[in-house]
Amino acid sequence: MSALILISVLGVVMLYLGIFSRKQVLAPVAILGLLAAIALFATGWHIPHHLLGSMLEFDGFATSFSIGMLVITALIFLFGPDYYERKEWHVAEQYALMLFSLVGGLLLASYSNLLMLFLAYEVLSIPLYVLAGGKKRSLRSNEASLKYFILGSFATAFMLMGITLLYSLTGSFDLGKLAEHMAAPGASGMVLNFGLFFVVVGLAFKVGAVPFHFWKPDVYQGSPTLVTTFMATVVMMGGIAGFFRFIDSTGMPDSLARSMVLLTLATLLVGNVSALRQTNFKRLMAYSSVSHSGFLLLALLTDSGLHEGHGSAVGGTLFYYTFTYSLATTGLFILFTIAKRANAGAEHNGIFKGLWHANPWLALCLLAMLLSLAGIPLTAGFIAKYQVFLLAIGAGWLKVMGFGVLMALLGIYYYIMVAREAFLPAEGSGAFVVSRLNWVVITLCTIGVLAFGLWPGWLV
Amino acid sequence: MENVITAIRVVPLEHYFFLSFLLFSIGVAGALLRRNILIVIMCLELMLNSVNLLLVALSAFRSDAGAQVLVFFIMLVAAAEVTVGLAILVQMKRNTNDVDINLLNRLKW
Repeated sequence: MSALILISVLGVVMLYLGIFSRKQVLAPVAILGLLAAIALFATGWHIPHHLLGSMLEFDGFATSFSIGMLVITALIFLFGPDYYERKEWHVAEQYALMLFSLVGGLLLASYSNLLMLFLAYEVLSIPLYVLAGGKKRSLRSNEASLKYFILGSFATAFMLMGITLLYSLTGSFDLGKLAEHMAAPGASGMVLNFGLFFVVVGLAFKVGAVPFHFWKPDVYQGSPTLVTTFMATVVMMGGIAGFFRFIDSTGMPDSLARSMVLLTLATLLVGNVSALRQTNFKRLMAYSSVSHSGFLLLALLTDSGLHEGHGSAVGGTLFYYTFTYSLATTGLFILFTIAKRANAGAEHNGIFKGLWHANPWLALCLLAMLLSLAGIPLTAGFIAKYQVFLLAIGAGWLKVMGFGVLMALLGIYYYIMVAREAFLPAEGSGAFVVSRLNWVVITLCTIGVLAFGLWPGWLV
Repeated sequence: MENVITAIRVVPLEHYFFLSFLLFSIGVAGALLRRNILIVIMCLELMLNSVNLLLVALSAFRSDAGAQVLVFFIMLVAAAEVTVGLAILVQMKRNTNDVDINLLNRLKW
């Protein structure tokens, strides 16, 4: 509770700082608040296990995901002062809305009641609709936010219908009651299947699983880059955490498993194959995030309550995967902004040309983070994929796992193509200007990706 | 209050299910097919309100106030959502002078 209140109040404080136009203190105050929240979670001070009449449950899974989201948000805010340097107005609102959205992410990681799932989902989403339209005069930004809003509300309505159908069976929004109902013999029927399916549709929309991924490339491309970074990292972590909590309590009946297998296969295929032909870096990252949610769905698929402690193994893998993915993505988007500025606002993959000659260290960072996303050994991305495949073998999904390995190999191609650009000679005359803070964040992300790859025990 | 609950219970529960599915489907069809964004937003509201109808009926039949609490939350969140949506729409109208959904074609693969 203390951490949730702290972050909500922090958002309001941001708005007040905005009134008095204290632009330069925004990021430091926000980061201090986030660090305090991390400390609260790490020590567990005033964070009881159950909260709000056990609508929230802060178990180990929720705590690790919360700390992960807070760390990534702090890294993104470190990028903020540079990104918003030339923006004079409404900077405070950007930070405040991201903090409010973060609260939704924390709730998604810890809900144990379907009512709270709905609220968390909306608290996460509504600020994002505004943030996506952050560039008021840009038509592409308008379009991104309107598309996100319409499709997001659509998915919310489906999820609500699902929640209502499940309520009509169990008479309670409590996930524990739902688990009891599912475990009872003879728990099947059309209402139950539709209820489960509709809730999964809503959750799959947020993580961008195919066929609910259409918003992702458009919204990623149209939104301001800092907001795209936030969506690709914190929102992804929140969405996956919420997905896991729901799946874990249903115990994965056969009807749900069938639709989850289809979702997983389609997501792996469409994400990786569409990414092959992308020339815009932001769209490439969007399809990359779709393909990563495919691997995460594969991990979710194995969560069928096989044996005691299996659920927490899946939860640990999901955390490791999303956290290291978020680290690499944050670093890459900051590098992308630097390269975009050097190339007069161009967004194609070629903007990284000449990075090696201009700044060898940053080129190596780019290479390390791309390799981590591709899943090359010695990086965290490899360990993450390896763990997912191990889980899939353990649960007997051999064919799906084989398909996943194939798609992971296919995915290496487009990451390497981007990395190759950085080592080619420069075409334009633009210089790569790197502020000291950005250099620190990129270096932190790279070191994180490599260190967690060499010593995965630190996170799991 | 008792009168309301008995009045709701006059109609069998299945009929509430069918009505709210019907409204939900109309909302889905409208959101997918209409080209005017204002109408699309109205159809989204219709989807949410069909859920509200079902929840109220379930609440009366089960004599459980929990579902009504969710109805209040849905109303509140729908209001917040529509506020944001209309603000985005106003911004788009300022930039393009139209509210046709076919204008959303700058971002393509």
